[in-house]
Amino acid sequence: MLKKSAANVVGLALALFFLFPTYWMITSALKPKGTTITSDYDLIPFSATLTNFVTAWTKPGFLSSLGNSLLVTLTAVLAAIVVGITAAVAMSRFAFRGRKSFVLLMLVAQMAPFEALLIPMFLMMRDLQLYEHLSSLVLVYFAVTLPFCAWTLRGFVNGIPIELEEAAMVDGCGRWGAFQKVTLPLLGPGLVATSVFAFITAWNEFLFAKVLIRSQDSETLPVWLSGFQTAFGTDWGGAMAASALFTVPALVFFLIVQRKMVAGVTAGAVKG
Amino acid sequence: MTAVKTTETAAPAGDIPPALPPAVTGGARERRRRGSAFDRSLPYLLLAPALIAILWLIGWPVISVFVTSFRQLNLGELVRGEIVWTGFDNYATVLRDERFWDVSLRTLVFTVSVVVASVGMGLGIALLMRVLTPWVRVALQIAMLCAWAMPILASTTVYQWMFDQNYGILNKTLVRLGFDSFAGYSWFSSGTSTLSVVGLLIVWQAIPFLAFSLYAGLVGIPRDLYEAAGIDGATGWQTFRAVTWPEIKSLLMMVTFLSTLWDFKVFAQIWVFREGGPSGESTTLPVLQYLEGIAKSHFGVAAAISVLMMVILGLITFQYLRKLLQTEEGKI
Repeated sequence: MLKKSAANVVGLALALFFLFPTYWMITSALKPKGTTITSDYDLIPFSATLTNFVTAWTKPGFLSSLGNSLLVTLTAVLAAIVVGITAAVAMSRFAFRGRKSFVLLMLVAQMAPFEALLIPMFLMMRDLQLYEHLSSLVLVYFAVTLPFCAWTLRGFVNGIPIELEEAAMVDGCGRWGAFQKVTLPLLGPGLVATSVFAFITAWNEFLFAKVLIRSQDSETLPVWLSGFQTAFGTDWGGAMAASALFTVPALVFFLIVQRKMVAGVTAGAVKG
Repeated sequence: MTAVKTTETAAPAGDIPPALPPAVTGGARERRRRGSAFDRSLPYLLLAPALIAILWLIGWPVISVFVTSFRQLNLGELVRGEIVWTGFDNYATVLRDERFWDVSLRTLVFTVSVVVASVGMGLGIALLMRVLTPWVRVALQIAMLCAWAMPILASTTVYQWMFDQNYGILNKTLVRLGFDSFAGYSWFSSGTSTLSVVGLLIVWQAIPFLAFSLYAGLVGIPRDLYEAAGIDGATGWQTFRAVTWPEIKSLLMMVTFLSTLWDFKVFAQIWVFREGGPSGESTTLPVLQYLEGIAKSHFGVAAAISVLMMVILGLITFQYLRKLLQTEEGKI
C-alpha cells in the first residue's frame, strides 16, 4: 500500500507539472492591470478582472488575425476532408490497378518533411502570384493535412461493412445513394476526429504562415502572437489573455475527440 | 499532428482475414457485373483530386528543392528570372562552412535528447498510470490534456513569461527557496540554456500524446499474462522484461519514429524564443534554412540545406521506414 500511495504522490506532482503553465496563463491573464509585473510573490491570485481579455481582444490585429486563422484553417480542412473522403472511398471500396501504390503513396506523403520544402513552396507561391495572399496558406495546409485525412478516413471506411452498402443497392439505391444514406452517416465520428486533427495541425502552423504572409492585415494568429511584444510591450497580462483566447478553440476540439486520438496509434504499430 | 495513425474503427477491420479485404470482394463483384466504362473509371475519378493535389503540392516541391539546390538563386536572379546552374557549388559552400557542421551536430543532439526524454517519460507515465488510484489518474490525464491542447505559440508565450528574467515566476520561486543567485538570472544567455528551455517546452507538450498512446497499448495487454508471471514468481523487472516489453515494443518504436520526425523539424519554438540566438548558438537546421533562404534570400544555398536536412532525417529513420512500408504493404 505504501508503494501505491508513493505512486499517487508522483502522479499528483506530475499533474501539477502539466497543469501549471495553463494555470499560470489563466491567473496572469486575470490579474488586474499593473499587478502582473511585480516583484511580489504572487503564485496565488487574490483578485480577478477581465480587463486583460478586453485589452487583448481590442488590440490592433487580434481580431483580423483570428479571422484569418479561422478562415485559412477551416477552408483548408474542409477541402482536405472532401478530397480525402473521395480518395478514401476509392482506396477502400474499389479494386483497381495501382491501388496498392496509391495507398503507399498516401502513407509516405504524410511523412513528407514539409519544413524542408519551404524554399520550393515559397518560390512556387511567388510564381503563382499567391505570395502575400491567404490562399497560399490554404494550399499549403490543404497539402499538409490531405494525406493524413485520406489515410485516416480510409481506416474508418474499412471499418464499415461493405454489405450495408450492398444491401442499400439491392434495395434500389444507386451507388451515390448508398454512400450518402449509409456510409456517410456511419462515417460521422471518423469525420469529426479526422477534421479535428487536421484543424489543430493548421491552427498551430507557424513557419509557412510567417514566410508566405508578410503584410499585417493577412497575418494568422500564431504569427501575430509571436510578435506580441510589439503589440503588448511587457504587458504579460495582455499577452497571456491573448494566448488563452488562442487556446480556447483548440481545447474545445480536443475535448470532443480526446478518446479517439488516444486509441488511434496502437493500430498502426509495426509488428516485430 | 500529422501522423501515421489508423483509427479505432480501423482495428476491427484488421480482424477480417487478409485474403478477403472488403475492397477486393467489392471489386470482384464489380467485375462479375461487367460494369460500364464509367464504373471502371470511377475509382480513378475519385482518386484524381487527391493525386493531382499530392503531385502538385508535395511531389513538385520535392523535385524542385533538388533542382533549386543546383542553381545560383539569390534575389537578383529571382527578380530577373535568370536560371544559373552552378553544379555542386551550393553544396560545397554549405559543407565547407564550419557553422553547418556545428548546427547539424546541435540539431542531432537536440533531437535525440528531446526524443529520448519524451519517449522515456511518456513510457514511465504510462506505466505509472496503471497503478494510480482512479481519481489521481483522471487528474493526471486532464492535466496532460491541457498541456497537449495548448497551441504551440500560446505555450511558447507562456513559457517566455514563466522564464522571464526579472518577473518570471520561476526565478521568483527559486529566490524564495533560497537560491539568491537566480534573481534576474537570464535563461537565454547561452545557446545551451536556451535550447534546454525549448527542449523542456517540447518534452512537456510531447509527453501527453506519448503517454496516452503507450497507456492505451499497455491496457491492451491481456491480464492473464501478468497473472501467469505472478504465479511463476517473477519480480517487477522480470515481468516488465518478459511480458510488457514484447507487447509494447512495436508501439514504442512507432512513437519514437514519429517523435523523431516531429522534433527534428522544430522551428516555431526556437525562433520565437531567441531567433536562434544568442549569436546563433541555438540555431538548428530548420532555423539555418530559414535564415539563409528567407532572411538572406540565398534560395539556392538554402535549398541545398533542405536537401541535406532530408538526407539526415532519411538516414536516421531509414531502417524503421523500410520496415513500416513492408508491413503496411502486406496489410493492404
